[in-house]
Amino acid sequence: MSEAAAIAPAAQASTRVMVRVEEACVRYRVHTERRPTMRERLTGARRATPSYVEAVRGVSLDVRAGDILGLIGGNGAGKSTLMRAMGGLLPPHRGRVLAVTQPVLLGVGAALKPQLSGRRNITLGLLALGMTRTQAHALGPDVVEFAELDEALDRPLKTYSSGMKARLHFAIATTVAPEILLVDEALSVGDQSFKEKSAARLQELKERAGAVVVVSHSLDEIAETCNRVCWMKDGQIVMDDGPDEVVAAYRKTVPSKKRKKQAR
Amino acid sequence: MAGLASPRAATRDVEAPSPLFEVGRRPSTLGYIREMWRRRHFAAAMPLEEMRVQHMTSVLGNLWHILNPLLMTGVYFLVFGVVLGTDRGVDNFMAFLAIGVFQYHYTQKSVMAGSRSVVSNQGLIRSLTFPRAILPLASVIAQMIAFVPPLLVIFLIALLTGETLTWTWALLVPLVVAQGFLNLGGALLFARLTHKIPDMENILPFLFRLVFYGSGVLYSVDRFIASGMGQMMFDLNPLYGYISMARWAIMGDSVSDTAVIAAAVWTVVALVVGFFFFIGGEQEYANE
Repeated sequence: MSEAAAIAPAAQASTRVMVRVEEACVRYRVHTERRPTMRERLTGARRATPSYVEAVRGVSLDVRAGDILGLIGGNGAGKSTLMRAMGGLLPPHRGRVLAVTQPVLLGVGAALKPQLSGRRNITLGLLALGMTRTQAHALGPDVVEFAELDEALDRPLKTYSSGMKARLHFAIATTVAPEILLVDEALSVGDQSFKEKSAARLQELKERAGAVVVVSHSLDEIAETCNRVCWMKDGQIVMDDGPDEVVAAYRKTVPSKKRKKQAR
Repeated sequence: MAGLASPRAATRDVEAPSPLFEVGRRPSTLGYIREMWRRRHFAAAMPLEEMRVQHMTSVLGNLWHILNPLLMTGVYFLVFGVVLGTDRGVDNFMAFLAIGVFQYHYTQKSVMAGSRSVVSNQGLIRSLTFPRAILPLASVIAQMIAFVPPLLVIFLIALLTGETLTWTWALLVPLVVAQGFLNLGGALLFARLTHKIPDMENILPFLFRLVFYGSGVLYSVDRFIASGMGQMMFDLNPLYGYISMARWAIMGDSVSDTAVIAAAVWTVVALVVGFFFFIGGEQEYANE
C-alpha cells in the first residue's frame, strides 16, 4: 500500500533535491615518476608540468530527500572522489555541485586527538563539525548515549577498540543531525549490533527528509541499507537504479571466484 | 528492503524547489571572515587541545618552552657578552638579550609552525569543511599562549637584574598581541607558499637566520652601526622594531620613531597580503 503511494509520480515530482551534481569533473594533481632526462639528472630539477588523474568525469546526479544512495564500483572508480566533491572538499574543475545545506562527511576522526579522553574528543569533534561551545555541551550527552561508551568516556581515545571508535565517529557526525550525510566506508567497521544501530540512525535521518550517500564495498550492506544505488566505473555513473537491480548487475561483472567470496 | 520503493533513475526535468548553493565555492572575503569568526570555538580548541596533549605526555616537555630560550640566552650571554664583549653600550645585557631571544623565537616558531599547518593537516582538510585560514591561525594562537611563560621570565630577569617596575612593562602585552598579527601574516603567506613549493621548508630557516642577525638580538645596533643608512636598514626590519619597543618598555632603551612606524606598517601589510594570498589558494589545499 505504502509502496504504491511512494512511487506515485506526483509524490516523486515534489521531492526536494538535496544535492545536485552537474556535469562535474574532478581531478587530482599527481607527480608521476618518469625517467628523468639527462639534463634533469644533472641539475636535479624536476619538470614543473603537473599531470592529472581524472577521477570523476562528467557526473550528473540528483540526490533527493529521503534517499539513502549507495555508490558502488571497483577500486579507483571515483566513488570517494565524488563523495568528497559533494561535500565541498574537492571542488570540480568543471561543472559544479549544488546542495541545500552543507553536507557532513563522516570523517570527523581526523580532528580527534588519540591521547585525549573520549569525552574531550566528543566536544572537539562537535566543534569541528561547526557547533558552538554551547551546542557542543548540549549535544554531548546524546553522543555518549548513542555511542554506548559510558565507562570508557574518560579513557584516552587511543585505548578504544576500532569498533568503539567507529561508534564514536558515527555518533558525533549523526548527532549534529545533518540534513545531508556522506558516509565513506564507515559502516563496514564495527560489530553486528553497531551495524544495526547505524542502519537505524540512517533511517531516522532519511525519515527526517534528509539524504544519505554511502560508499561501501560491502554489497550486502548496500543492498540492505540503501533505497537507491549508483554503480560507478572509470569516473562515470553507468547504472542508477534500485539496490537489488544494480547490485545484481554489478555482481555479474565480478569474476566467479570473487563472487563465491562475496557470497559468504 | 520490501517496504521501500526504489525511485527510478533521476529525471532531469524535476525542478529543484529549494535554493541550492554551490558547495566548496569560496565565499566573498567578508563571508570568509564571518565564517572564521563563526568557527572561532574550533579555531581556539585546536591549539588548546594540542597543548593539553603535550602537557600530558611529559612534564618537562612544557618546561622546554622556557628552558630552551633561557639556555640559548645563557649561551649567547657567555659567548657574546663575556667572551667577545659585544655587550658594550648596553647597560643590562642579560635582560637585553633575553628580550631579543624570546621575541625572535616567538616570531620564528609562529611562522615556521604556520608554514607547515596546511601540508601537515591534509587529513583534516580532506574530511571537514572550514575556512582553511584557521589552520595557520591556530598555530599562531598556540605560540601566543606559549609565550606567556617566557614573558614572565623576562619580567623576572628584569627584576633580578635591577630594572625598576614601571607601568610601561604592561605595554608588553599589547605589543605581544601586535607581534602576533605580524606572525599571522607571515604564517598565512608561508602556509600557502610551502604547500605550493615544498622546498620552502628548507629555505625558510635560512631566511630566518638573516632576520635573526638583522634584528639586533645579540648586540646594540647603535654601537656598531655608524652610518644612517645602516641604521635605516635595521629600523625597517619589523622584528627589530618590536624588540626595540620591548626593550624600551622594560629598560628604557631608546627606540626610533622610524622603527615603530615601520613595525606597524609591516604588521598591517603582512596581515593583509598574507591573508589575501592565502585565501586565493583555498580551493587547492585539499589536493595532495
